[in-house]
Amino acid sequence: MKTLRSTMLLLCCLLAACSHGTEPIQYGKDACSHCKMTIMDKRFAAELITAKGKLFKFDAAECMAGFLKENPGIAIDAKSMFLVNDFNQPGQFADARKSFFLRDSSFSSPMGGNLAAFVSRSSAESAKKDKSARIYNWASLLKQVNNEVEGR
Amino acid sequence: MKSRVVKIGVFFLLPFQVWANTIIVAPRTNVATLKQAVTLAKKGDTIVVKKGTYLSINTVIDKELTILGQDHPILDARFTEEVITITASNVKLDGFTVKNSKTGSMRDFAGIRLSNVEYVTISNNILINNFFGIYLSNCLHIQLLHNHITGSANIENSGNGIHLWKCKQVLIKENYVTRHRDGIYFEFAKKCLIEDNLSEKNIRYGLHFMFSDDDTYRHNTFKNNGSGVSVMYTRRIAMLDNTFIENWGSSIYGVLLKEITDARIEGNHFIRNTTGIYMENSDRITVTHNDFISNGWAMRVLASCNSDHFTQNNYKGNSFDVTTNGTLKEVYFNNNYWDKYDGYDLNKDGVGDIPYRPISLYAQIIEQNPQSVMLMRSFIVNLIDKVERAIPSITPESVKDDKPAMKPWKK
Repeated sequence: MKTLRSTMLLLCCLLAACSHGTEPIQYGKDACSHCKMTIMDKRFAAELITAKGKLFKFDAAECMAGFLKENPGIAIDAKSMFLVNDFNQPGQFADARKSFFLRDSSFSSPMGGNLAAFVSRSSAESAKKDKSARIYNWASLLKQVNNEVEGR
Repeated sequence: MKSRVVKIGVFFLLPFQVWANTIIVAPRTNVATLKQAVTLAKKGDTIVVKKGTYLSINTVIDKELTILGQDHPILDARFTEEVITITASNVKLDGFTVKNSKTGSMRDFAGIRLSNVEYVTISNNILINNFFGIYLSNCLHIQLLHNHITGSANIENSGNGIHLWKCKQVLIKENYVTRHRDGIYFEFAKKCLIEDNLSEKNIRYGLHFMFSDDDTYRHNTFKNNGSGVSVMYTRRIAMLDNTFIENWGSSIYGVLLKEITDARIEGNHFIRNTTGIYMENSDRITVTHNDFISNGWAMRVLASCNSDHFTQNNYKGNSFDVTTNGTLKEVYFNNNYWDKYDGYDLNKDGVGDIPYRPISLYAQIIEQNPQSVMLMRSFIVNLIDKVERAIPSITPESVKDDKPAMKPWKK
């Protein structure tokens, strides 16, 4: 009986250890997995959890897209979780697949992508400042990043 | 006769130049704020602000003026707006205390903002508790001299001390920046000179380049910053005679180089950093006459680097001189001084007779297996390193210094 109880306890501990979930970003401490910069800006940060539960943190959506360009296997895997910070609620994660991305030259996102994420198309529209600004969804954003050279 | 006429003419013309007006601003007088004085002033006038505390809710300087503070009068925005915005060229702002700009994530509020201007000098100011200190966008020929910039050291509400966006030919000299996000930040800033500054205890980088080409920084000190100095996605940067000291912690580097080409790194001192130089995707870099002293890793050169030359540097008291993560190609070490070199010099020409291999076997093991750091300085590690040096089998054959110096280089 005693051994059973302790085995159960051990099992519970082990199960708890392999949680497949998000992890809050430690601003000012965590480094971006793609560009190595310390993550500072709550408006632009992003996070990625692979199907196996491996976690990557990014300082900007453009960095996550750049990382996926180099790791296309993770990008097409339906079990990967992509999270981006909502520009209107800094520090709050939103599902990248359902988000809208506004590329507007008035944003100075950390890696020069001028990119901000919004939970709805309407809030992205209302944040528009530049006439040439464009709105992408997740799939079209990845396509766009795959076609361009980083930064310049 | 003709020359006399000219002389008299000149004599009459002169006074108009000399007698530009001077407007005095002092508390409890007719002109009690800088804003009033700017409204009254004409192009070319001088405004002198006497000692005192003035409310300055985004005072806009839209005329060519010389604005001088006496005994550092205080311009305070009380966290409601920016403090000063300069939108005219040929302005000089000297000797103020500028404090308490608004913070907030939506806009980059600044103590002193320069927007689309040329030939502006910002000198001898003290900036305290601003979101961004001095913010330059779209500027040309600007001088920032002797400013003392202190941020709030609050992770969420700290912008950069000196922030440049799309600028050209800016001189940043003898400033002190502390407690900001990045001490000095460059984005699309070209042909600038950063000289004799001290940047310390900033939250992220002491100095940070993004997409900025043809800049030079020299004689600066970067001390105890969150993550050292970072040079990213740039071309043709010269880093000369700087001191990088005590940048400690995981993923913290004296200098982080990422995707840069054709840089010169000369005469710098890297002292007590976790990693002196970290290089990734960096091509055609020359590293010459630098001192690497008492760092954890003097240099981490990733396999994505090409055509880099390391010549006549001193490596002293570092736990690891060079490490890498794969096969280094076209990376050349020549004539450096390595304190771990235990070869000999029989012909006494000052050059060791057998090559030195800066990447130790143990460094390679740690690369694969970070936990093995606990074996550091143990007998077994010394033994395998000695054996590997004698009969190299695992460490990269190509990475070696064929002419290691027997004595440290002196400047």
